[in-house]
Amino acid sequence: MLDLKRSPAADIRKIEKLKAISAQCRKNVLRMVRAGGHGHLGGAFSCIDIITALYYHAMNVDADHPEMEDRDRFILSAGHKCMAQYAVLAEKGFFPKEILDTYGKLHSRIPGHPDMHKLPGIEANTGALGHGLSIACGMALGIKQEKKSSRVFVLLGDGELAEGSNWEAAAVAAHYQLDNLIAFVDHNGLQISGKVKDIMNMTPIDERFKSFGWAVKNIDGNNMEEIVSVLDSLPVEPGKPTMIVAHTVKAKGLSFGENKVSYHFWSPSDEELEKAEKEIEERLERQKNIAEMSVREW
Amino acid sequence: MDPRKEFGKAVTEIAENNDKIVVISADSGKSSGFGEFMKLYPDRYYEIGIMEQAAVGVASGLATTGKIPVFCAIAPFVTLRPYEMFRNDIGYMKQNAKIVGRNCGFTYSDLGATHHSLEDFAITRMIPGVTVLAPQDPTEIRSAVKAMIEHEGPVYMRIGNPKIPVLFEERPFEIGKGHVLEDGTDVTVISTGSVTQAVLKAADSLRKQGISVQVIGMPTVWPIDKELVISAAKKTGKIVTVEEHYLDGGLGTIVSEVCSSEYPVPVKRLGVPKTYATSGTYEELLAYYGLDAEGIEKSVKEFLNNIPE
Repeated sequence: MLDLKRSPAADIRKIEKLKAISAQCRKNVLRMVRAGGHGHLGGAFSCIDIITALYYHAMNVDADHPEMEDRDRFILSAGHKCMAQYAVLAEKGFFPKEILDTYGKLHSRIPGHPDMHKLPGIEANTGALGHGLSIACGMALGIKQEKKSSRVFVLLGDGELAEGSNWEAAAVAAHYQLDNLIAFVDHNGLQISGKVKDIMNMTPIDERFKSFGWAVKNIDGNNMEEIVSVLDSLPVEPGKPTMIVAHTVKAKGLSFGENKVSYHFWSPSDEELEKAEKEIEERLERQKNIAEMSVREW
Repeated sequence: MDPRKEFGKAVTEIAENNDKIVVISADSGKSSGFGEFMKLYPDRYYEIGIMEQAAVGVASGLATTGKIPVFCAIAPFVTLRPYEMFRNDIGYMKQNAKIVGRNCGFTYSDLGATHHSLEDFAITRMIPGVTVLAPQDPTEIRSAVKAMIEHEGPVYMRIGNPKIPVLFEERPFEIGKGHVLEDGTDVTVISTGSVTQAVLKAADSLRKQGISVQVIGMPTVWPIDKELVISAAKKTGKIVTVEEHYLDGGLGTIVSEVCSSEYPVPVKRLGVPKTYATSGTYEELLAYYGLDAEGIEKSVKEFLNNIPE
């Protein structure tokens, strides 16, 4: 967590720094794509701003002690977006960045869906959709029973919401008043075959969770100010689990891939990957400068 | 004695000195023998409602925080319905959770095939790292519960519903170990779960007819007691397996696998053919599928008469 005095100036510095980190993490994702030749880029880029803010702003975690007892937990229920989590964990120092170069390789510790026994910082083996929220409920119950203050964060995909098991878990969370459970839906509106609303419409997401007894917020999930602001307001309502419907853009940050279904799973040509790397590098340099300037100016 | 009550009582007694134990119910707690547990430890009893997928996921999450969750409900509903949760959230995540299928086999006889569980051995033993138990009498249910809780890792245990007689003296339950219950030289009958009582009766009757039957009780279905199976194959040269389970995939299949790779001998598997079992009283179903003492006796004799020299 950033230890900055709370003031508008500190807030601006913090936000600009978080933006620079998420730009760096997008670069880390491309490093994995470079190694493996493909990956679920679209979802990784739509949720990476949220995951950056979680690890660098909200969660009580320690890269040197990934299993410390009172840590906050993060479960990436939409496990296919794992390049985003790997990118942030590596940046945060949970494991050496060289491991990013093993993506897609034999015996890699960063497989295409996360494995808690292979990598520090992973809390659950996700990948099959509709599992993370139930596991998170169990964690939140166990933590509450121990009267600990740890929180459990979960990130779901919007296409994933079609899995009925999510709604079982949604009922459990509200029934047990799990206000130490905070879920995000990465609502980029696209899944592998097309638009979520055409394949199986799960909207209005916010109203559905509200009716299940959750406290619900809508944010722009690629806007760092909004992400930080909602994370600072937790729990949104004591006695209720929080659902943050994060309106995002698939493949956000890759200008030629944004909001395109074909970037759900990306197998780039060399030329396309180079173009992506160049664009992300430029964005990173620009954002680093802004972050540094914001420190100087204040 | 009612196996469910014995089971619930055993968990409740251990829970007195082990506050890590939590019980998960899918509207199934009272019928699983947890009435007393609910009263004594309400803060360790989680009613999840009729949502077995969530129940298994919640068990996994609780286990990650150091709890030892015990989730018991009707066997098909804890195995088939949430199978992917069992595999990924419990198995793949290597969580210390205990899943117990009650009213196993076709003990819910007249309720029909939706409530029967004749493939639970086959599917649970396919999940790497899962131990599969089927205690054979009330005494063994109690000791198996203790062993299940002490074992660090995922366990599936199946128990029945109809009253079962006490067969054994109290003894520690060793996971992965079977026992020679009756000595014999002509043929070995290996059985698991409550059907062992009928096997012992059949063996007694066969002995009176001059056939010396070795009986092995195998309350751990997986990992199987390989050495005991091999020693039986060597000693009697013929094996019959008996289980209230499909002929495919369960104890008989596992024993056949051991024999075929280690010491090939003829193996006759007794169980239920792979069909949706009919309904009736439990005794009627046992007799219909040849799993009562008479049916087992008849099958053993047929087997011995038809083995080519």
